[in-house]
Amino acid sequence: MIRDVRIVSSRFGLANSHRLSTVLMRGAYDSLPIHLKRPPEQIVRAVDESGLRGKGGGGAPAGEKWKLMPRNSDTPSYLVVNCDESEPGTFKDREIITRDPHLLIEGMILTSYAIGANHAYIYIRGEYKSFELILRRAVDEAYEAGFLGRDIAGSGFDLDITIHRGGGAYICGEKSALLESLEGKRGHPRLKPKGKEPEWYFGAPALVNNVETIASVPYIVMNGARCYRQFGTAQSPGTLLFSLSGHIERPGIYEAEFGVSMMEYIERFGGGVKGKKKLKGVIPGGISTPILTAEEAARATLDYESLRTLGSSLGTGGMIVLSSEADMHGVLKNILGFYRHESCGQCTPCREGTSWSDQIASRMLRGEATMKDLDKLLELADTMNGKTICVFAPAVSGVILSIIDKFRDEFTERLRP
Amino acid sequence: MSKVKITVDGRVIEADDGALLIEVLLANGVDIPHFCYHEALGPDGNCRMCMVKLQGAKRPQIACDTFVCDGMEVSLKDPEIRTTVQRILELELINHPIDCPTCDQAGECRLQDYYMEYGLYDSSFENYQKIHHAKHTDLGSNVMLDQERCVLCARCTRFTSNITKTNELGIIGRGDEAHVSTMPGKTLDNPYAMNIIDLCPVGALTSRDFRFARRVWFLGSAPSVCHGCDRGCNITIDHDRPKNGTETIYRFRPRKNERINGHFICDAGRLSYREHNENRQLQIIREGQSIGREEALEAFEQMIGSQKRIMILADANLYNEDLRAIKWYAKEIGALLFVPLESYRDESFGDDWLRSSMRAANARGVENMGINREVSGGYDIDVLINFNHPTPHMIAAGEFIEFQTHQSTNADLIFPLAMFSEYGGTLTNRDNITQDCMQAVNPSGMSLSAQEWVKLLPRRS
Repeated sequence: MIRDVRIVSSRFGLANSHRLSTVLMRGAYDSLPIHLKRPPEQIVRAVDESGLRGKGGGGAPAGEKWKLMPRNSDTPSYLVVNCDESEPGTFKDREIITRDPHLLIEGMILTSYAIGANHAYIYIRGEYKSFELILRRAVDEAYEAGFLGRDIAGSGFDLDITIHRGGGAYICGEKSALLESLEGKRGHPRLKPKGKEPEWYFGAPALVNNVETIASVPYIVMNGARCYRQFGTAQSPGTLLFSLSGHIERPGIYEAEFGVSMMEYIERFGGGVKGKKKLKGVIPGGISTPILTAEEAARATLDYESLRTLGSSLGTGGMIVLSSEADMHGVLKNILGFYRHESCGQCTPCREGTSWSDQIASRMLRGEATMKDLDKLLELADTMNGKTICVFAPAVSGVILSIIDKFRDEFTERLRP
Repeated sequence: MSKVKITVDGRVIEADDGALLIEVLLANGVDIPHFCYHEALGPDGNCRMCMVKLQGAKRPQIACDTFVCDGMEVSLKDPEIRTTVQRILELELINHPIDCPTCDQAGECRLQDYYMEYGLYDSSFENYQKIHHAKHTDLGSNVMLDQERCVLCARCTRFTSNITKTNELGIIGRGDEAHVSTMPGKTLDNPYAMNIIDLCPVGALTSRDFRFARRVWFLGSAPSVCHGCDRGCNITIDHDRPKNGTETIYRFRPRKNERINGHFICDAGRLSYREHNENRQLQIIREGQSIGREEALEAFEQMIGSQKRIMILADANLYNEDLRAIKWYAKEIGALLFVPLESYRDESFGDDWLRSSMRAANARGVENMGINREVSGGYDIDVLINFNHPTPHMIAAGEFIEFQTHQSTNADLIFPLAMFSEYGGTLTNRDNITQDCMQAVNPSGMSLSAQEWVKLLPRRS
């Protein structure tokens, strides 16, 4: 039985939930007068103890990242909210910024206060033009009401928020590429540091977190880490706004705690597979996560550990459900076409590998491929894995290998001799 | 910095702790494939060619993002590494036009070199569609771009953004559409632009000046120093060899010298090779007639006479050895010697990097030798002997003898003078660094170096 838990989506159902006047009566910004007067370390500790995990796909503990931010440093620190939500199958951040933008802003104020930042950015996906207008209006409202700007809620803390629209590149969701883009350069991921250190924005330390991660902060700060941990599992505490799409009766986003059964979730919220067809597979967390067969999906629970055990990943929690109608050739071609288009082109294996893979997938779809082509595709997947700057190419590799491996018969059938 | 020992395929190498692995490997003569890393530009990590196996690491690592530590065990010969490099090289080549027969880079192309070392396979890209991009695009500043040959190592864009800071170039487009281009509304326009031709490891950027002139494997090379100004930038002179039937000089390329020019030279210096081939004085001329050497030397003797007042001018581009010989000769015949430096000053040329306003390669050598550097006061001169100084006409004299590299003046007696590429010598640059220049080709026509001429010149009777 799935419990109803609403941490991030608690105000989603209200009429005009994006307006300050609506949410002010419902607890928005209540945390500020209390917590902006307490030591900022308390907020960091609460988030760390809550076990909050980054909700942008990686699932790394947020507290670990926050603790890397320097205290009392001469250079300014920055908070950058990653709203470059581009992972196919994922559309939760856009719900937050359109249905409860003030929750995000409140989370940003608390987070900025906690890490000592006086300037925060929201890097929003270029295609989210209409959603950006709603968010921008909310930021204006917050400024007018004194929740942003100088001396917020009489605390002496200052914060400015700048909304920056991206140019429409998937890779800018990768945090270092996002920062490069925010700095006005091409959105190319940076070489990774050898040790643990914060991200850098114009040489100043920066914390980059996903929209939903930051939107979870007000609840944790107001109710405490223990309260947050009563939801979810020990290692994946709290909730996630899972997105449901594909061959499903009721696509949409539905908040649930971690650890619930995948199939139960799909039945309860999504109304099951469309047209009561047989389930063929589930892509569990955005297309960059390896596919699960129906049998694996039946064993899966929605938490990071379960999906890792199944050789996949929870990713963003954007589930794409595939019924028996799905042609895996089409699925593969569709996914690889996307990757070919979105590879930033920096590293050779990714730039050329995604391009060639896509051509092979087209050939397989048309039934013109031979075993040699299929072998080449698998070889390319191997070459793309672990040999690039960022995890884009390894994700493509995992997707190719899982789809071919789990539906191999379907692919070999269509090969020419 | 403390020293550590690392092992590279069984060979022990000593290195600074924390040094960049690819730099250590290259400094020790280990031939590691790479496109994007360049000593002057640093690592970028995009080509993924410099893969090495590190003991204890799960996957191949790139040497340009690995820092050495004591006891590190590195392998390039590991079969997994060779396979990885081969496959990445294959990916570099799938959209490459493979037009080596008509490509000017052939013979000095990293793609060719690595294919011979790691590739040697047949294409498995048959019947797939290559991605096409613009070819033979004129970027400006004598640089031609072929986007299809490009491996997107970003050396050229990093040069214009990090070194010249002129930002003319960028990479446009994503994924397999990515290509190098000039930024909208810009052309490549800076005095160092042609360095990107040398930086380009493949045939994407070629010199409009050099391309199709000569296959590089026909060329010989000699180390020398640019004579464009007194910076003393180190160059390599690429030239035909006698067995080719000509000794034409085709290009100057920068030669690395950390103390002076790093890896680069300016375009003006690079293109100054042309002076060695054009409009050269090849014969001895008296009153418009070509004459033999013996006859000319007799004429010379008569002209300087025994009592005449003689002034000698010399070029501040001559080698120290030439100047020393001329100085000795001036003393022998009791002549005044001047090397006026003001004639070489060009304030519009100098900048805060390599280009200097003193456009004479050995101005400092002249100064060190204590030769008069300006002609002050009036002199009553009977005979003027000029060793290629550019402005001899500032001196009025009854008779005028000229040793010149290029056809310019109509002196009474003209001797052809060899260019610096045609014999060896030393130059002292503005920072008082004396450097060797090697002979590249033989003197053209009847020309000799200044020091050779001086040996032949008659004393006064």
